[in-house]
Amino acid sequence: MLLDFHKLGAWRWVLTAICAVMSLFLLLPILFIVALSFGSSRWLIFPPPGWTLKWYEELFADPRWIGAALTSAKIGVIVMVISVVLGLLASLALVRGTFRGRAVLRAFFLTPMVLPVVIVAVALYAAFLRLGLNGTLPGFVIAHVIVALPFAIITITGALETFDPAIEDAAILCGASPWEARLRVTLPGIRHGLFSAAIFSFLISWDEVVLAIFMASPTLQTLPVKVWTTLRQDLTPVIAAASTLLVALTVLLMIAAAVLRKGKSE
Amino acid sequence: MFSAATRRGSGLGFAMPAILLLAAFFVIPVVFLLTRSVTEPQLGLQNYAALVGSTTYAKVFFNTFLVAGVVTLVTVLIAFPVAWALAIMPGRWASVVFAIILLSMWTNLLARTYAWMVLLQQTGLINRMLKAIGLIDQPLQLTNNLIGVTIGMVYIMLPFMILPLMGVIKKIDPAILQAAALCGATKWQALTRVLVPLAAPGIASGALMVFVMSLGYYVTPSLLGGTANMMLAELIAQQVQSLVNWGMGGAAAFLLLLVTLGLYAVQLRFFEPKEGR
Amino acid sequence: MKTTLIALAFASALTSAAQAQDMVFTSWGGTTQDAQAAHWAAPFTEKGGPAVVQDGPTDYGKIKAMVEAGAVTWDVVDVEYDWALQAGKAGLLEPLDFAVIDKTKLDPRFVSDFAVGSFYYSFVLGWNPANFADAQPSTLADLFDTAKFPGKRTFYKWSAPGVIEAALLADGVAPDALYPLDLDRAFKKLDTIKADIIWWEGGAQSQQLLASGEAPIGFFWNGRISALQSDGMEVGVSWDQNITAADALVVPKGAKNKDAAMKFIAEATSAEGQAAFAAATGYAPINLGSADLMDPAVRATLPDAQTAVQVNADMAYWAEHRDEIGNRWYAWQAQ
Repeated sequence: MLLDFHKLGAWRWVLTAICAVMSLFLLLPILFIVALSFGSSRWLIFPPPGWTLKWYEELFADPRWIGAALTSAKIGVIVMVISVVLGLLASLALVRGTFRGRAVLRAFFLTPMVLPVVIVAVALYAAFLRLGLNGTLPGFVIAHVIVALPFAIITITGALETFDPAIEDAAILCGASPWEARLRVTLPGIRHGLFSAAIFSFLISWDEVVLAIFMASPTLQTLPVKVWTTLRQDLTPVIAAASTLLVALTVLLMIAAAVLRKGKSE
Repeated sequence: MFSAATRRGSGLGFAMPAILLLAAFFVIPVVFLLTRSVTEPQLGLQNYAALVGSTTYAKVFFNTFLVAGVVTLVTVLIAFPVAWALAIMPGRWASVVFAIILLSMWTNLLARTYAWMVLLQQTGLINRMLKAIGLIDQPLQLTNNLIGVTIGMVYIMLPFMILPLMGVIKKIDPAILQAAALCGATKWQALTRVLVPLAAPGIASGALMVFVMSLGYYVTPSLLGGTANMMLAELIAQQVQSLVNWGMGGAAAFLLLLVTLGLYAVQLRFFEPKEGR
Repeated sequence: MKTTLIALAFASALTSAAQAQDMVFTSWGGTTQDAQAAHWAAPFTEKGGPAVVQDGPTDYGKIKAMVEAGAVTWDVVDVEYDWALQAGKAGLLEPLDFAVIDKTKLDPRFVSDFAVGSFYYSFVLGWNPANFADAQPSTLADLFDTAKFPGKRTFYKWSAPGVIEAALLADGVAPDALYPLDLDRAFKKLDTIKADIIWWEGGAQSQQLLASGEAPIGFFWNGRISALQSDGMEVGVSWDQNITAADALVVPKGAKNKDAAMKFIAEATSAEGQAAFAAATGYAPINLGSADLMDPAVRATLPDAQTAVQVNADMAYWAEHRDEIGNRWYAWQAQ
């Protein structure tokens, strides 16, 4: 009874242990970054010789960091929405379609992921120069959608493939229109895939640095570009401070979401 | 399949928006760049000849696929039990682990990689801790080699594998596993002959994603690995950005694309995805 | 409708006029670019020049793409000097207007048709004294001697003047016999310590490696070592056979604000501009008149006060052979 947690017996401890170790593994660098952000040494030495808040002061004194974070978030959200929508449509075609060459099309959708980003970046940059899209929000979004789309497609097709289309057909037989059936039966059925696709698309855009360096302009800077140039030139714990703030913000949001969910279920 | 009642066409139309976007803003610009691989510096296949004939490129090529393979394998081995556990664990614990996974994805990639660099150094925290508990006398070489690259990349790739796989496992009907138990299967038999095959589409798509991502990565490998483990993407970046030799860079990228698509075709041949039900 | 159109046209004319006026200066980012902004761009604008927008990081791929497409958005770019020479020959740059830029006052090592020095620096031997109890390193040969001075070494990762010269000098080549570079000999020398090399990709990483003790000895940009020292760190430095290299200011071909660009370069290479920048960064001025404007104590720390044991990397040679050396360099690294 492998899918019942309480009936696993000894295996339960093995699985729990693996989860615990992996969680620690995932947390270790994050905790390290948090600790470094309060260290008094400019260099990433642990344990730090003293503790200080000066990196946070420096961070708040520079509005460019906040601006870059907001820009990244804005672009990320737009990319997320477009990728999931286009990805969903493409996945429907790939999984449910009956045209020939589906395998080829699937491979085609993967190619932006296979080609090294620097090639895509230079190619797009050169093309956008002629279209006047460099340093613009639409250009940035298009560039990131191109590299995020394969992720959306892979995750959504994965979810669609394990979703029995007979359920959708049954809904239609019960009187729903095809689109109603899709919206109210299939979409909820693949919501894990949609959720993963959304998260991946957002995070691909959020963390993407190579394309961002090419697409950026002095007025349009994303967070990874700022981190990249700062890390190359001046390794200071200010970056640790920025990361820690974001981590803190995320933790707060997660706690808020959990509290809200609990409130709803009571 | 679309049922007979709803089928209006082959379904290709749904994919058109994505196809058009990629065609306009990906295919055309990239093709322009890649044609330079046969026109720069002169018309002809010299760039390709140089690549194929060079032992350095062969080594880098081989190393790239090796690293991608190792990272994918390690990621799958860790991600499967974790995804399985998350799919069936009691809600509260599962939420905490899930939150940790999301948190690690959300932290800036460069910050995470630098943190690993400092943690894994010979004078870093991990070596010092291992020394303190007496496991080692001399500090272990954990960065500037394949170990460092693997740790760093697995760290980044794990969430990409765990999240979709968790969703797939959640959708498996527990009744099937119950039936296996009733039929007398041991836990191990149920695992290898029922659960894993049922989760296989999720494993395959996750592994594909991680493998392909690893092929194209160069930020993390260049910071955590030595130059002896150089990945192809870094080499291409050198050509394109440092030496501004777009012909050579494009040729290397095109070869990578060909080999990867070739592997994908092989995978399709032997692990054909199910043709709908 | 008509009034809206007119208003829109008027507004866009205003904004595009304002934008056409702004000059774009691109450099490598970080505190170096901050210093360039503070000591070159700010005075430039104060003296009546247009506003200067900072962009970055410098990317040669971008420059090539821009020039080819005829859509150049960068007016002045800080690049490596040897690349500047090569790019000038390849037709990527505008010839400099020496009617505006006074080249008589500039260090002739760093003046050419398409580029003038931005600043120059030296690669110096640096080490963490705590790691070497008995003898302290002092020459480049010591850098390659892992028996006497064990531990990891760190060198600049990218193909650029400096490391190959260091290997040859350590192997006993006389400074005036360095060029043409004997690459085989250099790589053979580097091979003797290759297993112990950690490559630094950026200035900050080099400082991190030294400060944390991960690489107790290495070959660094002098400015980074001075920064460590002024931070209060104990750092050993040897200027013996320090190797100079330079950054250059260039104007990409087809830049939209050529006149402003030339005037900016004139300001940047002026005695005051160079002196102020040098004091702020520890890099050396390329204007021969700057030395008199600087505090002697500060001057002593700069590369140009160390000329006695200095080796100048041959920029022209590097420009000529940049691709060939680069390909061999990266190939050797990947082995």
